[in-house]
Amino acid sequence: MAAPHRQSRLSNALFAAPYLVVFIALLVVPLIWGIYLSLQKADLFGLYGFTGWTNYARVLNDALFWQSVRNTLLFVVVTVPILVGIGLFLGLALNARTGGAAFMRGVYFSSTVLSVTIVTLIWRFVFIPGDGLLSLAFQAMGWQPIGFLSTEGWSLFSVGVATVWWCIGLPMILILAALQQIPGDLYEAAALDNASRWRTFTRVTLPQIRGTLILVATIQIVMQFQLFGQAQLMTNGGPNGTSRPMVLYIYRAAFENWDVGQGAAASELLFLIILVAAMGQYWVTSRGPRT
Amino acid sequence: MKKLLLTSAAVACLATGASAQTTIELQRFFGACDSDYGDNTDVSAAVGECGIITSLINDFQAQNPDITVDVTTVEWPGYDQLNAQLASRNAPDVVSMHYSVISDYTSRNLLEPLGDILSEQGIDTSTFTDAALAGVTKDGQIYALPFDNWTMLWHVNLNLMEEAGLLNDDGTPIVPGSTDEFFEQAAQFKEATGKPYLVQILANETAAYTRLFYTFLMQQGVDPFTDPNAVDLTTPEATAAAEFLKRIYDEGATTTDMDYPAAVAGFSGGDGGIGINGTWLIGDYAAQSQEEGNALSDGYTVYPLPQLFGAQDATYADGHGWAVPRDPRRSDEEVAAIGQLMAYLAENDGEWARTGHLPAVASVFETEEFQSLPHRDNIAEVAETGQSLNPEVRRQFAIQDIIGEELNSAVHGNKPVDEALSTAQQRINDLLASL
Amino acid sequence: MSATTPIQHGHSRTLFWIAVAVSVLMFAPMAWVLVLSFTDNEALSRGTEAAFTGPYTLKNYTDIAGNSGVFRWFVNSLIVGAGQTAGVLVLSSLAGYAFGRLEWPGRKVIFVIVLFGLAVPEQAVIIPRHQIFSTLDLHNTYIGLMLPGMSLPFGVFLMTQFFRAIPPEIDEAALLDNATRWRIFWKVLLPLTLPAQATLGIFTFLFAWNDYWWPLISATDKDMYTLTIGIASSQVNFAQTEGLGFLAAQAVFAALPVLIVYIIFQKHVVTAVSGGAVK
Repeated sequence: MAAPHRQSRLSNALFAAPYLVVFIALLVVPLIWGIYLSLQKADLFGLYGFTGWTNYARVLNDALFWQSVRNTLLFVVVTVPILVGIGLFLGLALNARTGGAAFMRGVYFSSTVLSVTIVTLIWRFVFIPGDGLLSLAFQAMGWQPIGFLSTEGWSLFSVGVATVWWCIGLPMILILAALQQIPGDLYEAAALDNASRWRTFTRVTLPQIRGTLILVATIQIVMQFQLFGQAQLMTNGGPNGTSRPMVLYIYRAAFENWDVGQGAAASELLFLIILVAAMGQYWVTSRGPRT
Repeated sequence: MKKLLLTSAAVACLATGASAQTTIELQRFFGACDSDYGDNTDVSAAVGECGIITSLINDFQAQNPDITVDVTTVEWPGYDQLNAQLASRNAPDVVSMHYSVISDYTSRNLLEPLGDILSEQGIDTSTFTDAALAGVTKDGQIYALPFDNWTMLWHVNLNLMEEAGLLNDDGTPIVPGSTDEFFEQAAQFKEATGKPYLVQILANETAAYTRLFYTFLMQQGVDPFTDPNAVDLTTPEATAAAEFLKRIYDEGATTTDMDYPAAVAGFSGGDGGIGINGTWLIGDYAAQSQEEGNALSDGYTVYPLPQLFGAQDATYADGHGWAVPRDPRRSDEEVAAIGQLMAYLAENDGEWARTGHLPAVASVFETEEFQSLPHRDNIAEVAETGQSLNPEVRRQFAIQDIIGEELNSAVHGNKPVDEALSTAQQRINDLLASL
Repeated sequence: MSATTPIQHGHSRTLFWIAVAVSVLMFAPMAWVLVLSFTDNEALSRGTEAAFTGPYTLKNYTDIAGNSGVFRWFVNSLIVGAGQTAGVLVLSSLAGYAFGRLEWPGRKVIFVIVLFGLAVPEQAVIIPRHQIFSTLDLHNTYIGLMLPGMSLPFGVFLMTQFFRAIPPEIDEAALLDNATRWRIFWKVLLPLTLPAQATLGIFTFLFAWNDYWWPLISATDKDMYTLTIGIASSQVNFAQTEGLGFLAAQAVFAALPVLIVYIIFQKHVVTAVSGGAVK
């Protein structure tokens, strides 16, 4: 099939070489080294012998690990649909060529450019007991104050609120872009059929942007599985680990308990979970009608 | 930056004709307060941990123009950052360190023994208090300059206590002598003032729970770490201590949902009668009580945690020191500069004692300045009653987090007390077994 | 982009006003921090109600100018962000050309391996990476902060798609003229990928700008902190002596430049982000 001038040549690989060097040095080697570490008794300052599956057994027998897995899954299962849902709502609401819509798009995307420490600083000013914005509002209303960052349930909720606030820009923009690609004649045809708005939405709009919705959901699943900074800075995983995600579990094992072997074992398990989640999501979505 | 430092050093040389500039990196917690004390060299004008240590370092540099101290402030306690630095061989030259974690670092040979540095500066280690010296000595070697001893205290708002009728005739507060008395007084206090008796740090916190728990175990004569590699929390004494903490919460005898800063501000704002917090706040609260028109005006004093359990009067104590991470690349000039800084800090331990911490240099206790500090005679006995954990126990901060987390659950009713204690025991023993 | 149809217009009117109402939730936290940053620290220490009553002051901002590391952290973030972005663009474009446009032995297998890299989370490699960088003495250097982001396969994936999508006629003539591969890449194809470069560039820069875990353990010298880490290090002071107003001012100071740049280039950012991800 290849014409002579498009023949396979080894020298062509030179273009890929610079990236492949970085890829191997900074991704492949660390990945293999990480697997090796997970089979060792190791702290930050040295290796103390091969221990086989001991680290994995310790992680899998650790109730805290399973708690962090549950927290992370709960977080992903709740925030991802919310992010996709609000993104879709904003996409529909702001898909207009008016100055007002453009301005509102700007507003909803603005938080995305802030770094995680600014976001958590802002939200701590909202949630902290006594001095926080919500605390003042509750006092003004005469309600019983809630320890948003220190009560079981509320702490993960608060981390979730800050996360949705921070991350909402990207889903909105991606969905907007998809909406704008829908050919206008599809809507004209629907109008000729006297289709209701709801019917037009479910029969025209949704199928047309299905691919983008899947993309948005995939990106968000991968991102929210890696929740770390917000939880560390807002609640430090507390109270009693009820807002501690898997990544914070790994961080604590390695850098606070010095147990690099256990941290590495937990990382490999997280890798496995993300792989399964990503493949599962692919399997589910690829069975539906293609767009 | 290195270049920039070199250039400024060169400029300094030309300007003063002095010997070459030496820079040492100091990393510490105690907070950042550059906006208030960034340029202050008048140590006596500073108040509180952050103000005093910032001014001390400024003053040291002013006295030693050939030495630059590059200060990094880290989030308390800063050990995960230090660990990352040690692992990447980028550790600072001097770092603030609790006595209770020194053995973690010495067990991996990560700290410089300070015997030679101190003796070269003419610092006689026998001038340190026994408690301080014991805290920094491992296997016969000194691994940190001891700076203080500290403990949790019974900070008293006398104005509210008077309102509650909980003052003796001489104006001193009535201090409970048992848990039963504690709850009687708490009820009386709440009845009279409508406020909870205690202001406690209960939110986003592990250290405060653990320190109280250790204290009440020690008061029952129990050492949970007779074996430094395994904890025993299944004793009736452990249950009693945890049940007591829980009952304080259940009976509404404490503020709730306050994190550390909220609890500090809460006590100074008069949210409760007794603030359970550390030695380091005495200076701030005493200064506040001198001012007019606030909740503590002319009505603050402080005592050691009362003996609520029968066996012995004891309170959990720890201390802050200055350690020097090992670095084979360190030059002789830098080592000498570190020594000078250590000598300066030891000499000025009395200034540090104004924070409320107990001095690590024994002679400070005798000075007029120290004795004229407010309330110090109330707490002097802590020098005798203060106890630390078995010094061979490693990962004391990780253990503190585990106990604190589990007690937090128990106190808030999310877990039965016995389950929380047995979980804590299992977690700690897993941690220690894998060292 | 097709014109908005009347139906969409009718559809979105109510939704639009709901979106406007809800945007209060976007604004309120930022406005709160902004007000705090102008409130007197002393008054705030007695209670944040002071934000509504004053006194108001500029002191929190003048304090930053005098004593905060925030300037330096900002510059560090810019350097790391720009360097990482440049690196990713160069590496990804070259590799995208090789994978999407050229034939060479092993190409398919290697491409699949690279794609598998998409599934590797940072956590799985960060501890070994930290040890490798320790051995190479790369911590607390700009290069050390930039490099890990350059290994991510996302850019290669994106650029490969783009190079593949360019119709074969475009470089056919040049190939028949026996122009070198490099010349074709540089003169003919690369200019066509500019929209994709913009998309990838913005994604990469935002990623680098917001990165938290790697700089947290790699940049441990305060002169090398990025803005993210620097602000995190000063959040401590919630618990200590520095006032809430000063912290708020620091947050505003750190956020404002990015927000201003974003507002100026808003249209381009939005187009680039959406243009790249949706075919």
